[in-house]
Amino acid sequence: PEMAAALKRTIEALMERGAVVRNLENLGERSLPYKISKHNQDHRRGGYFLVDFDGPPTIISTLMDHLGRDVDVIRPTFIKHPVSKTEECSGIIPVNYEDKLYTKKK
Amino acid sequence: MVAALVVSSRGWGKLRQILAAGKGAGASCAVLWRRGCSSQQEHVSHNEDLPIQMENPYKDPPKRCVLCGINVDYKNVQLLSQFVSPYTGRIYGRHITGLCGKKQKEISKAIKRAHVIGFMPVVYKDPTFLNDPKICDIRHPE
Repeated sequence: PEMAAALKRTIEALMERGAVVRNLENLGERSLPYKISKHNQDHRRGGYFLVDFDGPPTIISTLMDHLGRDVDVIRPTFIKHPVSKTEECSGIIPVNYEDKLYTKKK
Repeated sequence: MVAALVVSSRGWGKLRQILAAGKGAGASCAVLWRRGCSSQQEHVSHNEDLPIQMENPYKDPPKRCVLCGINVDYKNVQLLSQFVSPYTGRIYGRHITGLCGKKQKEISKAIKRAHVIGFMPVVYKDPTFLNDPKICDIRHPE
């Protein structure tokens, strides 16, 4: 309904500035962890949406302005696409604290 | 008693004789041995009886922390809430969680991100996650 319209607006704004939208995820609608007041309104419930897009970094500031002016958007956030690499995680290597902390006189 | 004393005196004398003979022989032996050593030193270094230098084969594999294979994301609030105090919502330190350096940093960054975005409550722990299994080593004062 209204959320769909708001989403459409944001994606159109992205496309206008030349960003390629990869993926759109709906993280559900739930009550916010704390009351957020935006545009003279208090919000306690909200829908979370995640938009993956590729674009030039210069559009971020313009987009923040645009989304800040949008009444339906409570909190716009931009995050770098997470590159996960956890296969290199070796165990806890025991550190020799004595050598680390005490400077030995030469 | 008297017989024993006689035996001991005889024994000492014999011992002294043996020692003297041994010293003389030993000296000659030592000289011979030294000569032998000097010629044999090259062989000793290539002896196969010496221990081979290798890494300790009985070493334990390095200890892994709780999150050692798991990818940390700012979206799974449940995992992040496990490292947060239920009363104040503060992040537990490294000495309490027992995590690697890397993972502790990742978790703290993810928690702060979730705070800003509005995913995770800041000043308390989400009540739906209060009955999660305990990972951290907290000791509340009684």
